[in-house]
Amino acid sequence: MKHTEKELLALKEEVSQMWKLVLSQLEKAKQAFLNDDFELAREVVSREKRVNSFELKIDSDCENYIALYNPVAIDLRLALSLFKICSTLERIADFAEGIARHVIEENCEPFSAEMKTQLRIETMFDTAIEMFSDSYEALDSENTKLAGKILSKDEIVDEIYIHSIKILAEAIRKQMITAECGLHILLVMRKIERIGDHCSNIVEEIVFYIDAKVLKHHKNKVDI
Amino acid sequence: MAIMQKKTEQKIAFTFFRSLSLVVVAILFWILGFIIYNGAGVIDWEFLTTAPSDGMTGGGIFPAIAGTLYLILGSSMVAFPLGILSAVYTSEYAGNGYIIRFIRIMTNNLSGIPSIIFGLFGMALFVNTLEFGDSIIAGSFTLGLLTLPLVIRTTEEALRAIPDTFRIGSLALGATQLQTIRRITMPMAFPNIITGLILSIGRVSGETAPILFTVAAYFLPKLPQSIFDQVMALPYHLYVIATSGTDLEATRPIAYGTALVLIIIVLLMNLLASFLRKKFRKL
Amino acid sequence: MLETKEIHFYYGAFHALKNISMTMDDHTVTAFIGPSGCGKSTFLRLFNRMNDLIPDTHLTGQCLIEGQDIYQKTVDVTTLRKKVGMVFQKPNPFPKSIFENVAYGLRVDGIKDKNFIRQRVEESLKGAALWEEVKDQLKKPAFELSGGQQQRLCIARALAIEPSVILMDEPASALDPISTSKIEDLIHSLKEKYTIVIVTHNMQQAARVSNKTGFFMLGELIEFNDTKKIFLSPEKEATQNYITGRFG
Repeated sequence: MKHTEKELLALKEEVSQMWKLVLSQLEKAKQAFLNDDFELAREVVSREKRVNSFELKIDSDCENYIALYNPVAIDLRLALSLFKICSTLERIADFAEGIARHVIEENCEPFSAEMKTQLRIETMFDTAIEMFSDSYEALDSENTKLAGKILSKDEIVDEIYIHSIKILAEAIRKQMITAECGLHILLVMRKIERIGDHCSNIVEEIVFYIDAKVLKHHKNKVDI
Repeated sequence: MAIMQKKTEQKIAFTFFRSLSLVVVAILFWILGFIIYNGAGVIDWEFLTTAPSDGMTGGGIFPAIAGTLYLILGSSMVAFPLGILSAVYTSEYAGNGYIIRFIRIMTNNLSGIPSIIFGLFGMALFVNTLEFGDSIIAGSFTLGLLTLPLVIRTTEEALRAIPDTFRIGSLALGATQLQTIRRITMPMAFPNIITGLILSIGRVSGETAPILFTVAAYFLPKLPQSIFDQVMALPYHLYVIATSGTDLEATRPIAYGTALVLIIIVLLMNLLASFLRKKFRKL
Repeated sequence: MLETKEIHFYYGAFHALKNISMTMDDHTVTAFIGPSGCGKSTFLRLFNRMNDLIPDTHLTGQCLIEGQDIYQKTVDVTTLRKKVGMVFQKPNPFPKSIFENVAYGLRVDGIKDKNFIRQRVEESLKGAALWEEVKDQLKKPAFELSGGQQQRLCIARALAIEPSVILMDEPASALDPISTSKIEDLIHSLKEKYTIVIVTHNMQQAARVSNKTGFFMLGELIEFNDTKKIFLSPEKEATQNYITGRFG
């Protein structure tokens, strides 16, 4: 293996470490929210610092790699993709932290199981996390076939979010929950929805890296 | 210790080489010194400007000096154009085919032929067949043929020493091959060609055998009137007074003087060669 | 416009160029990259018929400049070479003055008008971004210039005969980085007026100076496309392996 290839693989390895960390943040945030687990939420908040320092490290490593090795073609695309993916991962981790903070700051009664099923909030969490781990799978196996699958999952997430607005509005009107708590829930769901969007961005970067196709800002991105 | 040993080996080897080259120089100085010591006394203005007299035991060597200069001039006029042009052809135009290789081998063989054979050939062709008689023109042609291989070879080597990048650079600017030779290759090769030419002149002035049957006169106190006249020449004169003069003992100083003059002429030629070379190299 | 149609080229029995068809537009810089011995320099030399100088070579196919086949019997090689200038790997100024070097092409063309020559020499030196450095020492021997200046002098020499195409065979490979960047800047400004074809071993250089890049391997033109495309997302795996250094 060439020296330059080793450098690039090391970079890829760092990103996958960060990926694992962010994934565990997401899962913990989900557990903390669904179970109102104060302790777990605190853990997520405190771990956010590690994610941030990861981002800085990968940023500078990418810069160094580009500056020193003048990569072209697939090497350049991978370096650029990793650079962007890394900052997206950081954003996703921010959302996980945000969700955890909601858990810490809100003062609501744990909402009813009926409401949970109605909102499909667990499905939403799971789908977003699946998107996230699938996109890792896509990068790791350099498989763009997964991309279509991931992008279609984003539609599910979006659909759940749009639906939740109605349900929450209804619940508030019927005074099943307080307006404050309703907004809290909506904000959390909004964050999950954003996580889905960011996963889509990651997938686009991966497709750019592997196939040199630019998917961004295309209308019908699903049918690759 | 191996390093010490290597160093000692080196020292011994180089001392040996150095002393060998010093021996060569010493021999040269010995010869020169011997001739100067014996010949310098005879040389004066009269020696250089008058004809021999008293059965070669007196007078000067002026006709022989003049004759040698004529022969240098004549053979140059034969050998230089012919040699340079054929060298230009073989090295610039002709590529590297069978014919060219054959020509090259033949040129080399030509330079290996003993000079006395040239003398005999010159006599047969120029003196007898073409009926030039014993004359400057017959001698010049003979000497010219003798030096031709040297001129061709040095010119070829001078041309080949010019890197192809210059030729290609010129051709790429739309110059023809002839323009390239005239404007780039020849001017660049000129200093080295000059050296070859002057070396060949040195050879001409020293040869005895080729002029023996074609031009040289035993004794001819007057200067030639045309190129069909005979002349005296320094090397032949030297040979004559050293071996078959009227009084060998009496002519001995004159022989040394003649030898010195011959050496000085060759030396001057070489000086001129290096002067011209330096001058042209500056351009 | 330069165009080749199904070019095959042989050195003796060696098949050096295999079926190459391509077009190069006016006022663009086209770079050829590829491993040593891939045929890129041979291909470059087709356009001013420098390969004619090598014995025992053989060509089939068409090589067109402005629609005219330059290998037809009616074409005069010296006229062609005045139209298609060339700059070589090692700077090769003639052992003449700076002025005479630039004037050389005009002189062999039979031009005698001194004012015209002087004017053209100045224009050419300006065009090669050398005028400011040498305007006071035009009589100085060209050998006394630095390597980078010598190379720009060779470019000026080529410009003096007003070619429409300039071929460059690794023009910066013998130069230091600063001289190299000057040559590259020069290439950028020259493409306003000339069509430039450059062969280079330095891929970054090809990426920096050219509009289009052709990748040669074993006598074949593997890929020919916009330089951006070649260096960001080449279509052929061989191209990618070569430019990313994974070759062989």
